[in-house]
Amino acid sequence: MGAYMSEKKYTKDHEWVSIVNEIATIGISNHAQESLGDIVFIELPSVGNSVKAKDEICVVESVKAASDIYAPIDGEIIEVNNNLENDAAIINQDAENEGWIFKMKISDSNQYSELMSEDEYKQFLEQ
Amino acid sequence: MPFAGFNMPINYKTGIINEHKNVRNHSGIFDVSHMGQILIENNETYLHKLEKYIPLQLKKLIKNRSHYSFLLNKDGGVIDDLIISNIDIKNKPYLYIVYNASRKKEDEEIFISCAPNAEKIYIKNCLFAIQGPDSINVLKNVIDIPENMNFFDILISKYNNNEIIISRSGYTGEDGFELSIPNESAENLITHVLKNENTMLCGLGSRDSLRLEAGLSLYGHELNEKITPIEAGLSWALDKERLEDENLNGNKVLSDQLKNKLSNKKIGLISTSKSMLRDGMTLFDNNNNEIGKITSGCFSPNLNKSIAIAYVTSEFNTDNPLFCKIRKKLELVKINNLPFVKKNYRKNGSVYE
Repeated sequence: MGAYMSEKKYTKDHEWVSIVNEIATIGISNHAQESLGDIVFIELPSVGNSVKAKDEICVVESVKAASDIYAPIDGEIIEVNNNLENDAAIINQDAENEGWIFKMKISDSNQYSELMSEDEYKQFLEQ
Repeated sequence: MPFAGFNMPINYKTGIINEHKNVRNHSGIFDVSHMGQILIENNETYLHKLEKYIPLQLKKLIKNRSHYSFLLNKDGGVIDDLIISNIDIKNKPYLYIVYNASRKKEDEEIFISCAPNAEKIYIKNCLFAIQGPDSINVLKNVIDIPENMNFFDILISKYNNNEIIISRSGYTGEDGFELSIPNESAENLITHVLKNENTMLCGLGSRDSLRLEAGLSLYGHELNEKITPIEAGLSWALDKERLEDENLNGNKVLSDQLKNKLSNKKIGLISTSKSMLRDGMTLFDNNNNEIGKITSGCFSPNLNKSIAIAYVTSEFNTDNPLFCKIRKKLELVKINNLPFVKKNYRKNGSVYE
């Protein structure tokens, strides 16, 4: 299978997922970042952990509240964004690029196709 | 977000941390019009009735000065904390009281029972707090403020031919002013003040982190009907002579507490990790005994760490390690004297704490 970059998808928990070569990159949506306000700390997940969709795997703390981050699909955590350790505010500045949180090797690509497209997520936010 | 029946902003455009820093370094404006403001005629009958609830000698309140005080229940518990001032309006002497929005119902029942013609002026007056070291410079181009005004002084001034009440006060640990201004002039005043680039509108989020850094108590957190001012570490605000007076609610409880050891003490905490300390988290000693609870917690922009106020049992020796249960983990927390930042109040033109 050749390299491909998928469209970005979103979960109902306000996370985004994009996939390159069966590796998913995950972060929180710009909308989530805006509602949380100033993010001061993130407890990153452990690399090597196998997780199931909907598992709580790490926590983002903002000045307003602590917010759980869930695995959007089944898989293994293979990398975390260590830059966030020193400066979690990167998520506020660029939630959907530089503010990525972790990468997963995914085991079931069907779960991915069930997530919302950008347009569907926009509609979901308006509800 | 909904707050005491009002829809209030947690923050404006630039966020809590930026608003917080702007107040510490320059100035910020809080719209606190949700708070209660009442005028009570300053006469002996009313004062005597109010002295059942307020632990001050109301007859001796100095004109044009404000005092931090409380309404007390029969057990000496705090019905509310408030600021009470002695001030003349249109040549008539009044007590002007500012109290918490969340306690309007309870407080007003008492005020009206003591003084049936008490006037709830928050219906026609907005209340703004301009806080921070630059507040005087931001305000002096807009309204007349005497140079020699000290912290907790209060007086009547004018804006747009309307009488406004100005006090040099606030709840951020900074120098600042609170303005009670008729609704019809409020927008003009704020637009006028905001022309100064050193100030900005600030929301409830930074109001909370500023008061917490300054070690100030908040009703519903450090204070409630089951806690006395002495247990909350606020005995300095009680008039000790009044504790001998049978007319004061809970006077026996309070004078006993002053003489004897309390069961709990109030402490400040600083997180040793990047985790946030929050209201309701439980505290443990070295032997895993639960010894207290956090009543307020936030991120401190000045310390770049999370800070908290907590009550722990008096038996706990604060030289020993203390742990906070954050989600599923116990994390070591550092005990810190309150306040977390120095206060920056003004007296005779200079800073005092």
